[in-house]
Amino acid sequence: MFTLDFVINAISLGSLYAIIALGLVIVYGILKLVNYAYGELIMIAGYMLFLLGSAGVSPWIILGISAVFAATLVSYLTELVAFRPVRTKSMTAILVTSFAMSTLLQNLVLLFVSPRSRAVPLPALFSKSVNILGSDVSMRNILTIVISLTLLGALSLLMKRTILGIALRAAAENFTMTRMLGVPANMVISVAFILSGFLAGVVALFWVGRSASVTPTIGTAPLLIAFVACVIGGMNSLTGAVVGGYIYGIIFSLLSLFLPQSLLDYRDAFMFAIVILILLFKPEGLVKGGYVPERVG
Amino acid sequence: MLVLNKIHARYGAITALRGISLKVEEGELVALIGVNGAGKSTTLSTIAGVLKPVQGEIQFQGQSLVGKSPEQIIRLGIAMVPEGRDIFPSLTVEENLRLGAYTRNNRMEYKQDLDEMFELFPILGKRMNQPGGTLSGGEQQQLAIARALMSHPKLLMLDEPSLGLAPALVDQIFELVVNLHNRGVTILLVEQNVERTLDIADRAYLMRTGKIEDEGTPQHLRERVDIEGVYLGDHTPNKA
Amino acid sequence: MKTNQSISNLIKEHSTLFILIIPLLVVAIAAQFASSMVFQRIVTTLFINLILVLGLQVFMGNSGILSFSHIGFMGIGAYASVLFSMSPQAKMAALPDLYPILQTVQLPFVMALLIGALIAALVGAVLGYPLMRLSDAAAVITMFGMLVIIHVVLVHWSEVTNGPRTLFGVDHLTTLWTAVIFGILAIVLAYWFRESSLGLKLRASRDDRYAAGSIGINIVIVRWMGFILSAFIAGFAGGLWAHFITSFSPSAFYLAETFTILAMLVVGGTGSVTGAVVGTVAVTLAREGLRALENGINSSGAVSIEVFGLTEVALSVFLILVLILRPGGIFGSHEIQWGKKQMLPVEENSSGNGQ
Repeated sequence: MFTLDFVINAISLGSLYAIIALGLVIVYGILKLVNYAYGELIMIAGYMLFLLGSAGVSPWIILGISAVFAATLVSYLTELVAFRPVRTKSMTAILVTSFAMSTLLQNLVLLFVSPRSRAVPLPALFSKSVNILGSDVSMRNILTIVISLTLLGALSLLMKRTILGIALRAAAENFTMTRMLGVPANMVISVAFILSGFLAGVVALFWVGRSASVTPTIGTAPLLIAFVACVIGGMNSLTGAVVGGYIYGIIFSLLSLFLPQSLLDYRDAFMFAIVILILLFKPEGLVKGGYVPERVG
Repeated sequence: MLVLNKIHARYGAITALRGISLKVEEGELVALIGVNGAGKSTTLSTIAGVLKPVQGEIQFQGQSLVGKSPEQIIRLGIAMVPEGRDIFPSLTVEENLRLGAYTRNNRMEYKQDLDEMFELFPILGKRMNQPGGTLSGGEQQQLAIARALMSHPKLLMLDEPSLGLAPALVDQIFELVVNLHNRGVTILLVEQNVERTLDIADRAYLMRTGKIEDEGTPQHLRERVDIEGVYLGDHTPNKA
Repeated sequence: MKTNQSISNLIKEHSTLFILIIPLLVVAIAAQFASSMVFQRIVTTLFINLILVLGLQVFMGNSGILSFSHIGFMGIGAYASVLFSMSPQAKMAALPDLYPILQTVQLPFVMALLIGALIAALVGAVLGYPLMRLSDAAAVITMFGMLVIIHVVLVHWSEVTNGPRTLFGVDHLTTLWTAVIFGILAIVLAYWFRESSLGLKLRASRDDRYAAGSIGINIVIVRWMGFILSAFIAGFAGGLWAHFITSFSPSAFYLAETFTILAMLVVGGTGSVTGAVVGTVAVTLAREGLRALENGINSSGAVSIEVFGLTEVALSVFLILVLILRPGGIFGSHEIQWGKKQMLPVEENSSGNGQ
């Protein structure tokens, strides 16, 4: 039952979920904004793969890089065009803006590409498998793990060793004080969105890698995963989001093994019920070192 | 060096400053004293660019500060240590200081500055790699001041540095402020601890409900306090 | 003489209601006598949307909490009311796996609507109570979570909803005037709530949590009451809509529709009943216009590709523009009134982000 393949699959899923969560929390930590349009960044990267693929561009690595670049660029632009002007208004205005942006991006794709599912080219590497210790392990899973861990390592270095990273961490704790030390607010926020978009792009490569297709609503599922993982791990901690992602991914893999399909259908409902419970009783998340959101009663 | 002229500022619908005018000459240690809610912190926030005045003018070395962002104001040479210290708890002491030097662009200078800070504040040197949140109140206050000094400010603004500290630490803080003053740092100090503040200040302004009620030498203000019998929130017993 | 004076005073004091209701009645009467089926359909939809958006305004406008789950309660109301209004034969055809108890029940239209609304309110009460203690980001995520939960349940509880498939066979019981009458009632209800002490307390808790708590307002209970009322209204609107459209599936109660009603409320002004009404009218008109444009382009073959989503693109751009330029909406927090100078919408309190 617990074959090597299963274990790798679970860790691979956890890694993917960790990156998904990280992309969301990077923006949340600094702006306290839940970016509903985050899922659409993944969708945009997916459609970039489709568009370039149908245009006959190859090799795949160019498609991959372009897709990640597209997500990064769109993320940066949405901040510049929509979030920056609304930043000083109420929290509700910012949230509705992000939701409107999500709708806008989805429907732009619907309008200019198609409402129907589109096939996405995948690198040949994804369908290969490797025999480790007698078990056939999918290359895609291995790549997911390797790339995720590399990204996490790189980000960790960025956050700890560079002045930019220090500024980002400081901004997440106390934005005003960070500005008072001379760190430009706009720069910090743009960087956060750029990182978020970049991570979304990478997620897309592996997410569409599972179904080899893309639809305008493909971003909704990862968004829900990001929410759940972030809440589990603690909304204001980068480490928390990563841990939350791994926990969610591994639990989900286990559940898929043991639960009947009829119950699995209710997975999202179940996970959000857990999310709600966590927010009620342990709003700082299960991982230590986060910020505690305010409770009224 | 710093001139405020008839500054009016608001927090939402509440008018916090009603026509504040004050000045700080280079090299001076000027104090703002007054009870809670008098508008002392608001004045500092307005100078620092966190709050935008609705009326009035602020000039620093000939440049107008009104409408400038906090990022711009620190680059002009004004550093603020806010009430409550506001150090970054999850960043280490060294990272806090590194961020303080954000506006400086010199690696060599940074190392020198760091050494100087650790000389001034030996305890920070010891705790260099510890998260700011693990420091005691007094240590955090030192860190906050050191962080502000890392930017080589022309004017240092301190908001209630002795707040919440044990008496022995209060001594330390005031000694430190005097030390800095003697080294030539221009200081604008906001405090509720009137006694100690008037001991060390060159000049002081007395604020009440958003206005400057009186100003002058510490001598002058001391007499005033005695006459009015107003303790101004000072917990030490009146000398008389 | 005295009665005349007090009536005219009454009208002046509640002039908002008259200013809002009378033009709407005129439109309804026009629709009644117009020969265009399309126009009647649009007006009926308008009034149903109005009820939905007013329900949203009741909670979101007064509490300041972004109520993401609202459409979920519309869905609950829709399915619940249908279960009680359909004849046993119709149910046998549409919902073959339905539980025997529900199989045989059939109630008159309005009763079914009420029960649907009550069930929605009940679910709102139970699920919503714990969430009333949260604020800010936690509130947003849990509200969203509630929508997801409701959606998933609707999609998978096939016995009751026919699963993700369309539910057929609902009687077309919602007429133009049904929608109009309940629409007007909804305006009165939302207005009354806003002016009631409960509404005042809710707004006080929105504007300053600490001050409100310190004068003895139980923020949790006050929010809860608003939420329950809001869910009731949404459920009622859902029932009306179900019996208008006569066939629907759970996908009608998820993110796309949430966007539409949010757009309607925010464009008009979240804080006022006037805003809800104006926003609904404006956005409904815009959508119908855009949709006609979309159909026109598609059928004329002017562009070689099919144009879908143009309506939503235009609406979302418009919504973002409104948020940037006039975040309070067209009417903000002030009700339109007779004789009073119309104030510009007040910008809501910034949370300090990026200041």
